[in-house]
Amino acid sequence: MLSRVADHIYWMSRYIERAENLARLMQVSVELLLDSAGSGGNPGDYWSPVLAATAMEGSFRLLYPEPKPGDSAHFLTLDERNPDSILSCVREARENARTVRDQISDEMWAELNQLYLLVGSERGARLLETTPQVFFEKIIQSSLLFDGITSATLSRTEGWNFLQLGRFLERADKTSRFLDIKTQTAAAADTALEALEWGTILRACSAQASYRRVNGTEFSLERILEHLLFSTEFPRSVRFCVRMADEMLHDISGTPTGRYSNRCEKLAGALLARLNFSGPSDVLDRGLHEYIDDLQVALNETGQALFDTYVLLPQETLRSVGRLLPGDPLEYHIQKQQQQQQQQN
Amino acid sequence: MLLDKYSPADLFDELIDSNGKVRPYYQPVADRLFPLKPEELEQKVKNLELLFLKQGVTFTVYGDERGTERVFPFDPVPRLIPGEEWEVVEAGLIQRITALNLFLYDVYHEQKILKDKVIPSEVVLSAAHYRPEFVGVQVPRDTYIHVCGTDLIRDRDGRYLVLEDNGRCPSGVSYVLENRMAMKRVFPQLFGCTGVRSVDTYPADLLATLQYIAPRQTAQPNCVLLTPGVHNSAYFEHSFLARQMGIEIVEGRDLIVLEGFVYMRTTRGLQQVDVIYRRIDDDFLDPKVFRKDSMLGVPGLVDAVRRGNVALANAIGTGVADDKVTYAYVPEMIRYYLGQDPILDQVPTYLAWREDDKKYILEHLPELVVKAANESGGYGMLIGPTASKAEVEEFRQKILATPRNYIAQPVVYFSQHPTLVDGALEGRHVDLRPFILCGESIKVLPGGLTRVALTRGSLVVNSSQGGGSKDTWVLAD
Repeated sequence: MLSRVADHIYWMSRYIERAENLARLMQVSVELLLDSAGSGGNPGDYWSPVLAATAMEGSFRLLYPEPKPGDSAHFLTLDERNPDSILSCVREARENARTVRDQISDEMWAELNQLYLLVGSERGARLLETTPQVFFEKIIQSSLLFDGITSATLSRTEGWNFLQLGRFLERADKTSRFLDIKTQTAAAADTALEALEWGTILRACSAQASYRRVNGTEFSLERILEHLLFSTEFPRSVRFCVRMADEMLHDISGTPTGRYSNRCEKLAGALLARLNFSGPSDVLDRGLHEYIDDLQVALNETGQALFDTYVLLPQETLRSVGRLLPGDPLEYHIQKQQQQQQQQN
Repeated sequence: MLLDKYSPADLFDELIDSNGKVRPYYQPVADRLFPLKPEELEQKVKNLELLFLKQGVTFTVYGDERGTERVFPFDPVPRLIPGEEWEVVEAGLIQRITALNLFLYDVYHEQKILKDKVIPSEVVLSAAHYRPEFVGVQVPRDTYIHVCGTDLIRDRDGRYLVLEDNGRCPSGVSYVLENRMAMKRVFPQLFGCTGVRSVDTYPADLLATLQYIAPRQTAQPNCVLLTPGVHNSAYFEHSFLARQMGIEIVEGRDLIVLEGFVYMRTTRGLQQVDVIYRRIDDDFLDPKVFRKDSMLGVPGLVDAVRRGNVALANAIGTGVADDKVTYAYVPEMIRYYLGQDPILDQVPTYLAWREDDKKYILEHLPELVVKAANESGGYGMLIGPTASKAEVEEFRQKILATPRNYIAQPVVYFSQHPTLVDGALEGRHVDLRPFILCGESIKVLPGGLTRVALTRGSLVVNSSQGGGSKDTWVLAD
């Protein structure tokens, strides 16, 4: 498979997973907003944990030095200037898919394209305005459907491996970040509110039902850590995601599990071993926030190593396959030249 | 009824003959299509366009920050061509492409046709797309144009005339295939009532054409499609063709030249490339040889081509054959190389670089169509009868400044075809672009892309300028 194609496929699935997670976090936050209005919380603050959990606080402040009500919600959903807004993620997913649509199934392309046509349209904006929950639901459903279509239509070749890598690395990152919300909010005033917050985090990870099946309705920090970080069954736990990513890497290279043939496999394998052989008490010893920080560093390094191993070839620097940021002057010139090519129409 | 208000104009009408009757070969389609309610037909078209949008069968509109993609407007009334009529067109196209390829071989080798003064040397040597650096370079199978899209129009008498040859990167074939799929979906009953020749072998034929020129004649030479990238208006077509042929679609940055061989960069290392179906202009192919600022090309590619290690389709330098000044000499070429009279006529052409012609052009500007010699896509054109005084004046200055760059032709009011407009059928001008593949044999795709000028009276059919398209049916007899 072309290195550039592998990269596009990886980012296609990362972005759709990112959109799904953000939509779910926002969906449960809207609910929490409605609930807490009754329990005396300050509704204005509810988007700041979302901004923090998705690491978008900095760019938000840059774009909105004096935020008005509604700014943060717009910034997170339909703001084109925010590269991680739902709209931008869906567009990136779709643009990556468009670039490699000869490599994916027609049905996969059609699903992403339809979602993009909705989110980018007047209809989408109206839906968000009138029934935000339905809007978020639509994003979540579409991402899940895309996952299903992929599994039913895509051959299990390298393309599949890179696609799954994108999905699971992104998901592991988001699950750990959402868990970190707890360390960033002020200690809850009462246990009812605390339960509400844990419930929100579990639902943001789509984990509430599976948690209850294992643990009942009691919330405890240890059990939540066990479920979101270490579960071997729950498909959104960090350990589950890293195990899947590790499997995909070994599928690509053919190296037996437990060994490594490149830096990316080494990093993923080491992270998996760490998760396999530790538990909630190790997290608490290190400190929840610190532990999650370590996790995210390891996940980022794995993603970077994947790029270095399979996409970047050493002889190329400027012309490398790295994606340029929107607004990069080089990007503009490349686009102009692409358009100059006469297609005798 | 849909056809109630339809009036054949004073020009060739594809549907109605000179006695005001529906042409017999249209009858089976007319019987089934025209009794439909206008709303019904419009709904079907709407559904189709929605389907095209969802499937991303679109072209990118330039000059728009957001990179808007648009559906190529689709007209549901198919254009029909009787089998025996098509046979003549096909023979004419084969004759023409044969002569063009012989001409290119000659121009890039001995230049006999110039020495014999059949074509003035300056015509060729001053053409913008002439590549003197390729004189004497061997190309596989001595073929230069492998994929050609020739534009045909029909004059008042229904004669097919060649309007231009597109021998660089002709586009539009994906719409031929998509339109056919759409028509089968919406009007399956129409196909049963009249035999239609299939178009679906095109991708396989194109792949065979590419494999035929592979320098390494292995069982499966590695053919790739080189695209400018996702921002190009025709990216959909590039990705469509690559998918249909099952080959990789690559950008310049995916390729690398080492020791005169071309490789693509894959997750498993470098893999040699044998044939490149390129959809980028000569100028951008290789920054070491052509434009230094090209970010789309592959440094060293031209060297690999010269050494015969990789084949390009189309070859470098074909633009000298589809130059609009060269066009005027194609009938001479056919006589010179093949000793035959041209089967297909073409539009009389005045060349501004000839003093007599220039005088005539400047005196008759408001009656003529003036075209820039090296433009395509309906750009750089003056249509005298509909142009403003200022536009005419602008072209007068341009012609005086660079006569070599301009040609002029009498306005040909090409044929009209019933087209769905606001719930009724009205006559709109159509042209026809058949696609020709020159591989082991020469194959012409039955029919081609019928483009329709959707604005009443307009003669510009290009997708970039408000044109639409129709499915084109060559009838099997």
